[in-house]
Amino acid sequence: MNDRSWPSLATTQSSTIVANWQLYLVVGTTVAVLVWGLILFCVIRYRRRSDAEPVQFANNVPLEIAWTLVPLVLVCWLFVYTYRAEASVETVAGTPAVGVHVNAYRWGWTFAYDGGPTVGGAAHGPILDSAGAPPPELVLPLNETTRLTLTSSDVNHSFWVPAFWFKRDAIPGQTTTFDVKPDELGTFEGHCAAFCGLNHALMTFEVKVVSPQEFARWRAGEMHA
Amino acid sequence: MGAAASSATFSGERSDLLSWLTTTDHKRIGILYLVTSLVYFGVAGALALTIRTQLARPNNDLVSSHTYAQLFTLHGTAMIFLFVAPFALGLANFLIPLQIGAPDMAFPRLNATSYWMFLFGGFVIFSGAATNEGAAAAGWTSYVPLSAIAISTGLGQDLWIVGVFLVSVATILTSINFVTTVFVYRAPGMTMWRLPIFTWEMIATSLLIFMAFPTLASDLLLLFIDRRFGGHAFDPAHGGDAILWQHLFWFFGHPEVYVMILPYFGVVSEIIPVFSRKPIFGYTGLVIAAFAIAGLSMGVWAHHMFTTGAVNDPFFSFVSLLIAVPTGVKFFNWIATMWGGSLTFPTPMLFAVGFLINFLLGGITGVMIASPPIDYQAHASYFIVAHMHYVLGGGSLFAIFAALFFWWPKIFGHRLDERLGKWCFWLLFVGFNVTFFPMHFMGLEGMPRRVFTYEATGQLPLLNAIASAGSYVMLAGVLAFAWNVVLSARRRVPAGDDPWGANSLEWSTSSPPPEFNFTALPKIRSERPAYDARVKAAEAEA
Repeated sequence: MNDRSWPSLATTQSSTIVANWQLYLVVGTTVAVLVWGLILFCVIRYRRRSDAEPVQFANNVPLEIAWTLVPLVLVCWLFVYTYRAEASVETVAGTPAVGVHVNAYRWGWTFAYDGGPTVGGAAHGPILDSAGAPPPELVLPLNETTRLTLTSSDVNHSFWVPAFWFKRDAIPGQTTTFDVKPDELGTFEGHCAAFCGLNHALMTFEVKVVSPQEFARWRAGEMHA
Repeated sequence: MGAAASSATFSGERSDLLSWLTTTDHKRIGILYLVTSLVYFGVAGALALTIRTQLARPNNDLVSSHTYAQLFTLHGTAMIFLFVAPFALGLANFLIPLQIGAPDMAFPRLNATSYWMFLFGGFVIFSGAATNEGAAAAGWTSYVPLSAIAISTGLGQDLWIVGVFLVSVATILTSINFVTTVFVYRAPGMTMWRLPIFTWEMIATSLLIFMAFPTLASDLLLLFIDRRFGGHAFDPAHGGDAILWQHLFWFFGHPEVYVMILPYFGVVSEIIPVFSRKPIFGYTGLVIAAFAIAGLSMGVWAHHMFTTGAVNDPFFSFVSLLIAVPTGVKFFNWIATMWGGSLTFPTPMLFAVGFLINFLLGGITGVMIASPPIDYQAHASYFIVAHMHYVLGGGSLFAIFAALFFWWPKIFGHRLDERLGKWCFWLLFVGFNVTFFPMHFMGLEGMPRRVFTYEATGQLPLLNAIASAGSYVMLAGVLAFAWNVVLSARRRVPAGDDPWGANSLEWSTSSPPPEFNFTALPKIRSERPAYDARVKAAEAEA
């Protein structure tokens, strides 16, 4: 189990996503410090010092136009970067190396690889308590694109791997696909992120990223098991 | 005339129970709304403390998973539908006729009807707790199919639907009342461009309610038909669409966020000028910004659905980002109001400045999650829990306390204690930030919302322990307020007509105001009639 307190960046997509986080963090922190600074400045500088009435001004049209236009330009600029980041994250490959059909249900996960094998699922047993069956494991090859196809057999669920910096909902009657390209070896935790009833908190899974050779060995082993 | 009225309970004459049950006086209905919503706040707060106690350490077993689901469902439902929104309706009920120089609301009996529907709607929601399978447990968003009859078999879910339906109809009726009152009941001289900003914000809020709440009511009706009359609106197995619930719910749900914040923008816009001894800066800009926010907020609902993969992300992302512009205008206007002023910091002003500081952070994280790639990590995690509480707790709740301390003397004729008021502010300010700031990091570490337990991985145990400790500091702040109410009611320090040197018309009548509000109206020649009258009186003396 990955025990680091901060999620790693385990896919190429997550690097794009985190770059977007960083952009917003820098802009957001700058704005916050500026505005908090202005508030604190007023609170300290303009404390009542005498009974004289301050100058009663209430307008400054050029200033008001400026503080409307500058933020407008700023959010348009942010949107351009956001649009690019999103397009990149949402891009799906023509021919993914691996395809996995992920089905979510109350309360567990089935990972059905195109061409086999199928892991997890009801055979894994329903999750009864936190000391129940070990969570199902999604094994993925390093540096290869995997196409995930999401469905749900009962209520809304959400496939979330914090180290992928990504989640996607599994909704009954809807099929959703996205690609991941893991670029870090290791085991990462996954959660259901959409409240789905009693055992929502226990509906976890693990993602194990292995080398393509090991992935092939694992797959062959599972198929013949 | 003010001091003399301080012995009166309210509005002059009768004060027995029957007179309160049958009242159509907007001030009494306002007080009923305020008191009721504060009681619901107490209940919802107690639920929140139970939640924080359960999460204080990993693998805790104070409450079961099923109890926990009911706790967060009722906490969210009560805070949103029974406290933050209706408190504003109560405040507006009390204030709007006074601020525009009217004797009452346009439809006084409709007004009473709204209040009683709201009160009993809340009872119906909570009555689910007395049924065999307990109260509703599908979250305040009640996503289908989780809330469908096949999964949520209990009556608690039906009672939740009926209760929220009653509250939403009551809210629609009240908003009609507000808009009609402002449009037709203004006193001579009170032109639209002289309305206090609070009244303007309530017009924008009411328009949002017109547009958003009928959608919620329809959504609830469809769900009820699905559950009890064999409908299939949300059932994909029979040609329905599960995601339709989310579209309809958030078409209401995002405007609802602004229904819960615009009135409080109005509150701080009233308070900051008074304690800066200046007129509000950029009056016209503030009004335009309110309507810009209201308009834009109708086109952003699907930013709650980025992770469904079923909506046009870039459109909803861009419109959501745009809301930052009018919100920024408001911030700059509030700062410019303080700029060059002569500032004092009694409790209402402390809470108003606390609102600015906290709400700014909620606004900035709001801009962040308007970006779909960021939302893919933040959505449904504790990062979102932090964001929404900075908006509704650090924002709306702080403005609610600002409003309570500011208008208490006008409403009840006596002042609240200042020393206890400052304790209340600092305990809530520190407690709030200690509780909710760490939640940003919990979310980034991978803690989903609505989980009754978590594993002891990474920093989660530490962050959760800090958050839970903070929630008890907030409790101390709320208790300081409750004690203040009791103590001040015993002391009854007379408020006088205008204890703060304020600006708007409600400060030109007695505290509390007489039954039909005004024995005489001052001349209204600007948006600060009370201020103008003071200046004129000073000139006459000189």
